[in-house]
Amino acid sequence: MRPFVYEQPTDISAAVAIASRFTTEDDQPTRANVQFIAGGTNLADYMKLGVAEPNRLVDLNRLKDPGLRQIRVTDDGIRFGALVRMGEAADHAELKRGYPVIADSLRLAASGQIRNMASLAGNVLQRTRCEYFRETSWHCNKRVPGSGCAAMEGFNRQHAVLGGSDACIATYHGDFAQALIALDAVVRAEGSRGARKIPLAKLHRQPRDTPEIETDLAADEIITAIEVPAVPWARRSLYLKIRDRESYAFALASAAVALDLDGDNVREARIALGGVATVPWRAKAAEEALQGKTLDEVSAGAAADAAFAGAEPRQHNAFKIELGKRTLVRALLETRDMKV
Amino acid sequence: MSQPSVPSTLGLSRRNFMTGTVSAAAAPLLVSSAKAEVPAAAGAALREPVVTSMRINKQAYELSLDTRTSLLDALRDHIGLTGTKKGCDHGQCGACTVLVDGKRVLSCLSFAVMNAGKDVMTVEGLASSDGKLHPMQQAFIDHDAFQCGYCTPGQILSAIGCINEGHAKSEDDIRDYMSGNICRCAAYPNIVAAILQARDQMKGA
Amino acid sequence: MDTAAPRPKENQGQPLPRVDARLKVTGQAHYPADLPTANIAYGALATSSIAKGKVAKLNLDDARAVPGLLDIVTYGDMDTVEKPKFGNSGATSIGPLHDRTIFHDGQIIALAVAETFEAAEEAAQLIRAEYDAETPTASFDSPGAATIPAAGKSPLFKEDVKAGDFDAAYREAAVKIDVRYSTPTQHHNPIELFSTTAFWEGDQLIVHEPSQNVTGWKVELARQLKIDPAKVRIVSPFIGGAFGSKGPMTPRTAIVAVAARRLGRPVRCVTSRMQAFGTQTYRAETRHRIRIGAGKDGRITAFAHEGWEVTSRPDSYVVGGTSATGRMYAYGSVLTHVSLVQADRNTPGYMRSPPETPYVYALENAMDEMAVALGMDPVEFRRINEPKTEPIGKKPFSSRSLIQCYDQAAEAFGWAKRDPKVGAMRDGDWLVGMGCATAIYPTAVAPCAARVRLTVDGDVRLQCGSHEIGTGVRTVAGQMASERLGVSIDRISVEMGDSSLPPAPVSGGSISTASVCSAVLKACDAIRAKLYAGATAEGGPLAGSHNEELDLADGKIVAKGGASAKVEDVLKTMQVGAIEEYAEFAPKGATPEALKKLYAGMPEFHGGEQDEDSVKYAFGAEFVEVRINRYTREIRVPRIVGAFAAGRIMNTRTARSQLMGGMIWGIGQALHEATEVDSRYARYVNRDLQDYLVPVNADIKDLQVILVPEVDHAVNPAGVKGLGELGNVGTAAAVASAVYHATGKRIRDLPIRIEQLLA
Repeated sequence: MRPFVYEQPTDISAAVAIASRFTTEDDQPTRANVQFIAGGTNLADYMKLGVAEPNRLVDLNRLKDPGLRQIRVTDDGIRFGALVRMGEAADHAELKRGYPVIADSLRLAASGQIRNMASLAGNVLQRTRCEYFRETSWHCNKRVPGSGCAAMEGFNRQHAVLGGSDACIATYHGDFAQALIALDAVVRAEGSRGARKIPLAKLHRQPRDTPEIETDLAADEIITAIEVPAVPWARRSLYLKIRDRESYAFALASAAVALDLDGDNVREARIALGGVATVPWRAKAAEEALQGKTLDEVSAGAAADAAFAGAEPRQHNAFKIELGKRTLVRALLETRDMKV
Repeated sequence: MSQPSVPSTLGLSRRNFMTGTVSAAAAPLLVSSAKAEVPAAAGAALREPVVTSMRINKQAYELSLDTRTSLLDALRDHIGLTGTKKGCDHGQCGACTVLVDGKRVLSCLSFAVMNAGKDVMTVEGLASSDGKLHPMQQAFIDHDAFQCGYCTPGQILSAIGCINEGHAKSEDDIRDYMSGNICRCAAYPNIVAAILQARDQMKGA
Repeated sequence: MDTAAPRPKENQGQPLPRVDARLKVTGQAHYPADLPTANIAYGALATSSIAKGKVAKLNLDDARAVPGLLDIVTYGDMDTVEKPKFGNSGATSIGPLHDRTIFHDGQIIALAVAETFEAAEEAAQLIRAEYDAETPTASFDSPGAATIPAAGKSPLFKEDVKAGDFDAAYREAAVKIDVRYSTPTQHHNPIELFSTTAFWEGDQLIVHEPSQNVTGWKVELARQLKIDPAKVRIVSPFIGGAFGSKGPMTPRTAIVAVAARRLGRPVRCVTSRMQAFGTQTYRAETRHRIRIGAGKDGRITAFAHEGWEVTSRPDSYVVGGTSATGRMYAYGSVLTHVSLVQADRNTPGYMRSPPETPYVYALENAMDEMAVALGMDPVEFRRINEPKTEPIGKKPFSSRSLIQCYDQAAEAFGWAKRDPKVGAMRDGDWLVGMGCATAIYPTAVAPCAARVRLTVDGDVRLQCGSHEIGTGVRTVAGQMASERLGVSIDRISVEMGDSSLPPAPVSGGSISTASVCSAVLKACDAIRAKLYAGATAEGGPLAGSHNEELDLADGKIVAKGGASAKVEDVLKTMQVGAIEEYAEFAPKGATPEALKKLYAGMPEFHGGEQDEDSVKYAFGAEFVEVRINRYTREIRVPRIVGAFAAGRIMNTRTARSQLMGGMIWGIGQALHEATEVDSRYARYVNRDLQDYLVPVNADIKDLQVILVPEVDHAVNPAGVKGLGELGNVGTAAAVASAVYHATGKRIRDLPIRIEQLLA
């Protein structure tokens, strides 16, 4: 690991100022000399591996603003402070009751220890776990732009079938963001150019020919909150995660589903997919396919086909198309059958 | 009690650790930073040790540390508390689990300097001063919840954290919430049995 | 508490808690990297990123500029010491710093040593190599793979066993199968990281390193460093899991020792989890072709097992499991052949049940397929083919309780309730399948020495250079002394894991309990003899009694008539403060050199199929239930039952734990574990615990171990069959059998994953 200077500002503007002083507008947040750290579960790992090489860490855990550590569930929706830990959110009673898809996505992620450490904002921003990205001796366009992608023709069982490009097929491994994107969440960020709101759907960038650009954030911007507009019918929602072992593993495929039903008829569906795409993946085509339909195995199957219509398989991950579809079908039927 | 053969030549401890309530474990000997490449942006502070205070097993410590030193390495190499184990150093195995302010965390993924002012509990701090084991320690013995014993300190701390979090209500809960602690000897069913026993005793305590 | 400590049945010892349990739950058990060492410097390895070629240039400038850097050991710095040797105690013949040739991915190219761990890691990451790279051969199907016969390439695998006329019998068989199986690359991944701490006190070298073989390493390290073995001490009081990985010494040990000598201070190098995949040994991938022919009555008339195993270019590592599979059932005729396939890979090494895990998986999966082809119950099929003598040498089994194991496990599992029709059992959206398979492991034993001292205060000190890798050997050795000397276990201290202790064989091949306990038994019996002599001597408290009328219990010598004498008083009459005995145990059939070789770190193994009088194996039967989701096809194992017979069980608690751990390993073999090799580069891809999956707590639900009583005096004086490697044999085949039962899909390539069941 490269040496770094450790800073612990106590307010957001000071944190932004430090980052602003040591970065330029052209710096990609993931590659900048200054990195913000909260839980550290992703960043410390990548610093040890030499994937992230900041020379300055700005610890956000001393920020005083109490809102950063609060979850508020109101009639307007949910406001998550950025520094709330995953474990705390997963156990939040009102979330579990009103938005099970969110609580489930957190509970099924990582391990108890990691959930106690990782902040919600950091979790949303977590970087891919692609094996070829993790180890610096492989060619990786995301880590070293233009160096090539070893995963493309390599062992790519974990890799994405949706949202990839010729430059990168690294999967977005998070779970929480799938639930968020399905519910039209927005993040609030503060940087040297002021505060702004970014729809979660616009936060992550597909790799295209610049996989090194992972998000829409600037290097000196800090996520301060995540907001989810109220969805009263989200009580009927769940997050289904399919993985090789029963716990503590990344999704091979996952589905975040929320349904507004009239009997078995779909008034509105919200669907996002995980484990199969390069970014948190909203499956609008699947949602549209279900609208107004009676939800059964056939209509769910048609929605799943729509969701994966543009999927591009590689040598070892082709099964994810079939698995992803079945995961969605199962999630839709299980959501339909929920007692709410 | 059987004691392993501790080599006679090694009786000395690395430094005089824990000789008082405030113990200044020496900073790693850093050669002068004159030779270091100091990027202009970083200024002179790069590679300067940072003094960090924390409470570990109810004792106050003041440590002078490389900012890169993980809480795990600080415990092991700077304080001599080697009960906390390094199994992967990347947050994948759980062997390094300790309680920080009562919550179980992975000490390998936490920079020590980030723990200033915190209360850290390691396996060495669980038994009472008269030698009475914590109910979880005793339960691990009773149910043979380990074989090689290497992941055990992390399992025990994680198990205590799991109960404190309220995630030990059922066997399935315990299995899921303990899945961040890999036991390669695979004592899992015995670990679950031990946690059930200790859970009930900890409630009664 | 009853579950973890089963009530002992016939020929089974008490479920005493582990004697080192308190140390382990309080953090006071010191593993080698925990041992306090003054003025330590930290080492970090730099490893190759290619698998074949030469290191053209090594740029060390950036690394040397790191503040706190003390030294870099690399090419040229090892020239004064000998290269490692493969075989016996050595993991590989590749001396990574002896020349610039790269034989495999992740080969050591330098060791950076610094004042701090952080500086050493930083420096190691800054070491840059330029390579003259060549296209490497990754595995079986890669261009450049060379296939050679395995027989004779290893002293442990002399020939391809055969019996009768397979070709004719197979041709004429009424029912036959011809099937192929494969098992993947696997790494042991003990949770303790591999490490070496070395320091010199004058010309004496002390090494703290987790080891299953302290005596062997002492000799091999001394050979490499060209010093007297008496000047080398290997210290390994606790070992954080081993599974074979800490049996052979790797080249790192000598490199760290050289670094410590150059610096004149202790150096500790803890290998990263990722680096361990290339710098340690592993289980290489295997392939199998099995042909079985049988009559319509289910009697096997023809059995052929061909195996292919990957090894490195320079070293012929052979597992050769056909010597076991060829003897398992009453086959009629047997044909076997094992081939090695050389590739540009690090040298494989033994990993928990090295031959049996892959070979018995293939055999037992084939047995299940054959039962299906015959329309027979798989348990019945095995019962029909239960042999009176093994088919190769026609020797009897010293004991064989396989059918008892099947009966007891089937009963506990509820096998009778299984609907044999494929896909017939369901629970909501979950397909239910049930399957079973045989476990088998050869029973071997090796020479071993032990020193036991009984003091007038009633304390016992037991010393033996064996290794506590989690098996409980420290506990059962103490238990043996406790039983023989009539002393409570808490008065017994057991010292192990140090090459300065009486030598024990490598803790591999499931021989430790048998070998160590036989030596301890011998030492204790010598102490008994002296005590009896003292007690019955003229003027002694039991004068006139005969030895055969005496027994030792609760600190007293008790005569048949009821008279007794305290051990303490006997020692006083003898005018001694303690009796100490140093015993050397050599198994039946040992060569005249056997004990000499023990001290030289080359213990002879006896037993298995090698003995003249009988073949010696432990057996078991495992039953599993799998559940597979109707939509998404993930596979879970909610229930597993294993029944095992392994001669005398020293301690039902530690025995059950080992078997349980083995069964869970078996579930991992079946469903999770595989190291992926990038075939273009012959490099490991998933080299950490994030992507190399092993079972976690949530994967294991209802698990039952049955210890079937068995008495076998032929195996060794202790009557013990090893069981550390028995539990994980067969499990994967039982899972495959259950998956077939649930889905109708016969999966022949491990691990069984979701994608194989989606199609």
